Amino acid sequence: MDYLPLFFDLKSRVALLIGGGDVALRKARLLVRAGACVRVVSREVHAELDELVELHQGQVIIGEYHPALMDEVALVVAATDDQALNERVHYDALARSLPVNVVDNPSLCTFVFPAIVDRSPIVIGISSGGQSPVLARLLRAKLETLIPSGYSRLGTLVGGFRDRVKARFSNVNERRKFWEHVLQGEIAERVFSGRDEEAAEMLEQALSFESGEAVGEVYLVGAGPGDPELLTFKALRLMQQADVVIYDRLVSPQVLDLCRRDADLIYVGKERDNHSVPQHGINALLVAHARQGRRVVRLKGGDPFIFGRGGEEIEELRAAGIPFQVVPGITAASACSTYAGIPLTHREYAQSVKFVTGQLKNRTSDLNFSELVHPNQTIVFYMGLHTLDHLCRGLIEHGKPESTPVAIVSQGTSPQQRVLTGTLSDIVALQQVAQLPAPAVVIVGEVVELQSRLSWFGKAEGSQA
Amino acid sequence: MLWSNAYPLFGQLMSKVAGLGIGNGARDTGHNRQTMRNARTPGQVHLIGCGPGAMDLLTVRALRLIERAEVVIYDRLVGEDILALIPHSAQRYYVGKAPGHHSVSQARIGELMVEQALQGNTVLRLKGGDPAIFARMAEEIEALNNAGIQWHIVPGITAASGCAAAAGIPLTDRNSAHQVRFITATHHADHLQHDWAALARPDQTLVFYMGLESLTAISASLRAHGLPDDWPILLVENGTRDTQRNLLSTLDSVVEQAQEARFKTPSLIIVGQVTRSARQTATLLAQTVHAA
Repeated sequence: MDYLPLFFDLKSRVALLIGGGDVALRKARLLVRAGACVRVVSREVHAELDELVELHQGQVIIGEYHPALMDEVALVVAATDDQALNERVHYDALARSLPVNVVDNPSLCTFVFPAIVDRSPIVIGISSGGQSPVLARLLRAKLETLIPSGYSRLGTLVGGFRDRVKARFSNVNERRKFWEHVLQGEIAERVFSGRDEEAAEMLEQALSFESGEAVGEVYLVGAGPGDPELLTFKALRLMQQADVVIYDRLVSPQVLDLCRRDADLIYVGKERDNHSVPQHGINALLVAHARQGRRVVRLKGGDPFIFGRGGEEIEELRAAGIPFQVVPGITAASACSTYAGIPLTHREYAQSVKFVTGQLKNRTSDLNFSELVHPNQTIVFYMGLHTLDHLCRGLIEHGKPESTPVAIVSQGTSPQQRVLTGTLSDIVALQQVAQLPAPAVVIVGEVVELQSRLSWFGKAEGSQA
Repeated sequence: MLWSNAYPLFGQLMSKVAGLGIGNGARDTGHNRQTMRNARTPGQVHLIGCGPGAMDLLTVRALRLIERAEVVIYDRLVGEDILALIPHSAQRYYVGKAPGHHSVSQARIGELMVEQALQGNTVLRLKGGDPAIFARMAEEIEALNNAGIQWHIVPGITAASGCAAAAGIPLTDRNSAHQVRFITATHHADHLQHDWAALARPDQTLVFYMGLESLTAISASLRAHGLPDDWPILLVENGTRDTQRNLLSTLDSVVEQAQEARFKTPSLIIVGQVTRSARQTATLLAQTVHAA
């Protein structure tokens, strides 16, 4: 370890900053964030720097550097392009045993500025010891995304409870267990979703109850179209915390692999016409596991609220008084259309897009064809492969031109993705030959014509490609 | 800790994706980086959907590309937190359009992407929501095709999905909403050339994008075509962000209530039976404006 990481309390202490340009401004911003009074000395001072220092009770000295400026100073930063001056500052600071940083010159530094992830009161500093600032910065970017911005509020919230928790649990182990439960559980998740007051209430409750075995929580998570790279960070975070994962057929194995290793995986199927677990059974399962105090991830292909029956599940959870969260996912229509090169809307061809389920359940009258034939819209049928013939005939009979373009996107976004394009009159015959497998979406509308020009991913086939 | 759980995931995820032979965007970019020094090799363009606003609703692929950005062209609807992830070294171009003000023309955006790619840069075109939905994806790609520039698309969470999840309401329902329809309402009321009779059907969910300016027309037209005065309508302002507000109302009083509560863009409008349950989840949200 070349440098010992320390956190420096600069509140109301003087930091001497030599230099008045852009680099000095950047350092000044950091220093004032930590509450320092910045003493700037330079022949010329950037207007913004002048303003900033003024605003934070600092001092701007226009003129030459001299060692007496180091009196009563806690730390020294040189940000000038004058090499001789930088060296003088370095030696003067050493002589007074003051920590000194010369920007972009590690050999003249007794301390370095790390890349910072600021979730105050949580602060993370990352240093490569000057070996690779870019690597440190990349790591910072990763951490920025992985650490919810709510950590800041979480830190403040639990900070306020610290003394009381100490008083409540005299045993260190008990205390640690309590905090782990709070910081990894539903209380933390409340904070992350902006429900701070509820989190505070729950924390109060947890403190007053003898046994902390609270009700669990259910996360309805959209797993997107299958490509694990199209998962959101929120989905990943919750999948990594799951005690139980309840998933169905449309969740890809690659996505499932990313769930917490110790989680119980429960398959509830839903092949078409073959519901291995009926919906009310799934609802009951969610409630039962949550009641055992477990964190349940209900993982669904696509988006949980678009033909995902997520509505029925949350109704049940509400009725049972179980807290839940919903994480949206990329719905099949979005993913399949972009990967097939078909925009769902277009200024000229389609000012609206409609998602319809092609799963008819002998309730064909539910599909109002006369309204689906209206021009200037795109229609996306979910699960429409097995009723394709019926859908095409219905549209034609109700006046949609036979030449209306149609695309079938099968196994969209996966390496097996296939796109078949045709028209209302010939797509059924083309599909009989091509035999594209489910899952698939069927896209009907003028926008499909753009496919030949906009295709970019995987293979395309059909009468127009 | 959450992040320490999630961190090993990165490597795990990346190797998995590479093993699958998909995620070609990443590998192409890698190749592109090596040849980039040669200014005559054009760079590639990635059209990236950045989702509804919250940083953690960004996809893994979008983040990976943003972390390594060289040139970024972005819109008004891309969240601040997301923009903060762009490296300092990247060139940024704001081409946002406030409603009614086209600050940068579509043609100019196309030119900018082409210019930058021809200089050998990898260009990220960041858009709010999903590129396939009301994002003029076709026009932008057309410009790239004409110039022979290679491109890729990263889909994103569309505003309707994000707002519905954040409001706790489904967009489809077996009993009350067999279909969901996304409609753009940017133009002035007179120019809303929708088939209002079809939109006024009760057994579906309507989602109006960019519709706050046309709220009066939407409310009046839907009622004129048969939806009842007390039909539920939900406005979601700044959906999925810390500042999200919901307003659950009815067709006849929404205009007044939205004015009272000073709803601003970006706001999404959701109409239909499914929104009724938003009232129940409303108390779970940080800031909620209740209909009377």
